[in-house]
Amino acid sequence: MTARLGMRLPGRSKKEREPLGPYGRVGKAVEELDERLGIAKGGKTFLDKIFPDHWSFMLGEIALYTFVILLVTGVFLTLYYVPSSALTIYHGPYKPLDGQLVSQAFSSTMDLSFTVRAGLLMRQMHHWACDIFVGAIVLHMARVFFTGAFRKPRELNWTIGLTMLILAILNGFIGYSLPDDLISGTGIRIAYSILLSIPVVGSYLAFFLFGGNFPGTSIIPRFYVLHVLIIPAVLVGLLGAHLFLLVRQKHTQFPGPGKTERNVVGSPMYPVFMAKTTGFLFMISGVVALLGTFFQVNPIWQFGQYKASNISYAVQPDWYMGWLDGALRVMPAWEFVGWGHTIPFNVFVPAIIFPGIIFNICYAWPAIERRYTKDNLLHNLLDRPRDRPKRTAAGAAMLGLLSTLFVASATDVLANFFKISLNTVLVSMRVLTVIVPVIAYFLTYRICKELQAVPGAGKRKVVNVVAMTEGGEYTATPVAPPPELVDHELDAEPVPGLIGEDAPADAVAAAAAVGGRPGNVGTSSVRTVPR
Amino acid sequence: MAPRLTSSARQLVGAALLGVTVVLGLLSFAGAAEAATVKGSPPKVEQQVIPRPTPYYDQFNSGMASSSIRVFGTNGQLLMYGNRDVKYYLPQMLVSGKTPAALWALGYQLFEQNCSACHGVEADGVPPANTPSPGNVPYPNLTGLGPATYDFWIESGRMPAASTPQTQPMRRPARLNELQALAISDFLNTKSPQCPLCYAASPFVPNVLDLATANLSDGAALFALNCAACHTITGDGDALANSTFAPSLRDVPARQVAEALRTGPGNMPVFSGNLTDAQLRDVVAYVTEKIQHPQNPGGLGLGGIGPVAEGFIGLALGVGLLALVGFWIGDRS
Repeated sequence: MTARLGMRLPGRSKKEREPLGPYGRVGKAVEELDERLGIAKGGKTFLDKIFPDHWSFMLGEIALYTFVILLVTGVFLTLYYVPSSALTIYHGPYKPLDGQLVSQAFSSTMDLSFTVRAGLLMRQMHHWACDIFVGAIVLHMARVFFTGAFRKPRELNWTIGLTMLILAILNGFIGYSLPDDLISGTGIRIAYSILLSIPVVGSYLAFFLFGGNFPGTSIIPRFYVLHVLIIPAVLVGLLGAHLFLLVRQKHTQFPGPGKTERNVVGSPMYPVFMAKTTGFLFMISGVVALLGTFFQVNPIWQFGQYKASNISYAVQPDWYMGWLDGALRVMPAWEFVGWGHTIPFNVFVPAIIFPGIIFNICYAWPAIERRYTKDNLLHNLLDRPRDRPKRTAAGAAMLGLLSTLFVASATDVLANFFKISLNTVLVSMRVLTVIVPVIAYFLTYRICKELQAVPGAGKRKVVNVVAMTEGGEYTATPVAPPPELVDHELDAEPVPGLIGEDAPADAVAAAAAVGGRPGNVGTSSVRTVPR
Repeated sequence: MAPRLTSSARQLVGAALLGVTVVLGLLSFAGAAEAATVKGSPPKVEQQVIPRPTPYYDQFNSGMASSSIRVFGTNGQLLMYGNRDVKYYLPQMLVSGKTPAALWALGYQLFEQNCSACHGVEADGVPPANTPSPGNVPYPNLTGLGPATYDFWIESGRMPAASTPQTQPMRRPARLNELQALAISDFLNTKSPQCPLCYAASPFVPNVLDLATANLSDGAALFALNCAACHTITGDGDALANSTFAPSLRDVPARQVAEALRTGPGNMPVFSGNLTDAQLRDVVAYVTEKIQHPQNPGGLGLGGIGPVAEGFIGLALGVGLLALVGFWIGDRS
């Protein structure tokens, strides 16, 4: 503006501007910020934070970024969704439901799917992101479990992570219920019945949550508040605590040359990890967007409004609730009737007691393991799963049990698809639920032991030179590996710092020689820092 | 980095893994699409198409209080019967150029050839040489079941039965054409023990000709209330107890949907008193128009089997693909 008007402010001419530092405009801007806010110290710690490079450390990031996608798409959905059970007449492009009396929740979700521009894409991305979110949490948790990353000092973060998983499952279920369609309404009905099955307090709890008898008009607005406000707020808080502890306690790492209990080997936040993780964010958004575009999820228009009189067969919950549905299905129909009361064990045991036991085992696992191993040391180096065969086998048994129950949630689909009797499938699933964990335990234990017994299993083999003697005999001679096979990555190499620290003089000189910045010097970005 | 693999080699491996995933995805896409097409169009069977005149259906409004309606033709034959809510028309009037006697004779011959080995020459479920039935379940007595029943079982290909005994016969390409089915119907009507040549006892082939005027919205609501509990809300069908199943409705012609509603084949309830003819048409129209040709945005439908398939896609394509991406950009020491 000033230039166009031909004016010059005193002392601000281009020529007189102080020269930019070695880090250019960004460095200058950061310096200005530091003068005011003192960000250099914390910022340097953050930008220099070391992230181990192993791929399995990326699984938690899938969960983190799908959570971001969930927040963004979720905000879009709240702009159009009406959390009300009030009845209205649906009029819209989907003719088979035109003129039907539906709730505003259902009607607004129909509008989101058919009328709002990009609404269906947002709905489907939200749903797929949720499916991936919970899946990534489970995978991340499995990695932490099987490598022993939950051991002292990280038990608290294990607890926080597990709580987030439970909240994610809960919020997934609640969100799935919000459209008030036939399928999710059936889910709410099951939830109501599960609450009722709790002895003594069940009916009070159910009436409290639903504001009266099922279905009532309170549950949709209440679920909405839980879904968009309370649970996400708790999740964000726990996520902050999770990441804070991660930074505070620093990452674990797999054992290897140069890696000890007292250091962390990996790439710094800036520039290596930042580039990786940003790329990963785009990849995750891309995959979710592709799924939302090409794969239909939860087509509520086919289901119609939920009415207490209606039900559809072949109804399953989303996959992360599947194991609970499966547990309900395989449970024999046992109940206690006496003194004017009924205790429906067929609901109470699989839907309340069983998940209670499962989650409590998970919560207590670090303590259980400490108690049995009498191991009270700090652990920053991870275990190879094979080296802890009992833990690995227990984890496999748990996954086996939950997977079997997940499959059991599709008894009817299996029976129909393979044209076998539903009764046969159900009985088979009961048997499998009992024997699969046992088989998984012993099989995994055996495999771990075998892997331990084979020296160097899974490791790079020694290089041999095979030669034929004049007599025709072949000999194999082990030789030193050629340089390109030697593991250089673990050798620590200094990388110039960014903020508040001058780049080493030789790095600057080397950079000047090739016309670049000090950050470009050196072929490796891997660094070792003390804990 | 100076890794064991050069970074371009690493990217190549990553790209290859991604490529394999994409190919797998495309293959499953193609598989699903193929399954969908197979589902959508059953193999064509050569059929003799008989023009069906609109019966004297609309001449009778539903305001008549009488519990029974009978309409007779010029030479005294029964054309239509019914009550205030349900009206049936006779198959005879569909057959042009066939005298009742010739039709009966054809039916008799076809029955002897195709049906009597199990159902008995008298159609009473007593097979000739005491042929053992599978599982010692007696063969059904066919007398007095009504034309809609006969037409449904024959035209859906379930009868004559497959040689391997099944707990519940499956839909197949029809073995007999429409005229032959009508002929067998005509023959079996005369075996009705209550009154030979009397048609009032059983449902006749329902009228599904004027589906264009049907109310799809009502049909959808009635379907959700009455049919979804077994056939599922998407009409794909599902397994019931003891090897029985609710069949998929994706390839059932309109007339057979209506016949099934009125006659209740197998485990299915008979919907006659609680569905008016107009409601019947609404349901049939919803099934044949919206269940079979869904207005279905949002991408690949995943076979309509719901969250199990969705979870599989979410875990395999979503989490799996992203873990592969992590594997690609991460380190594998």
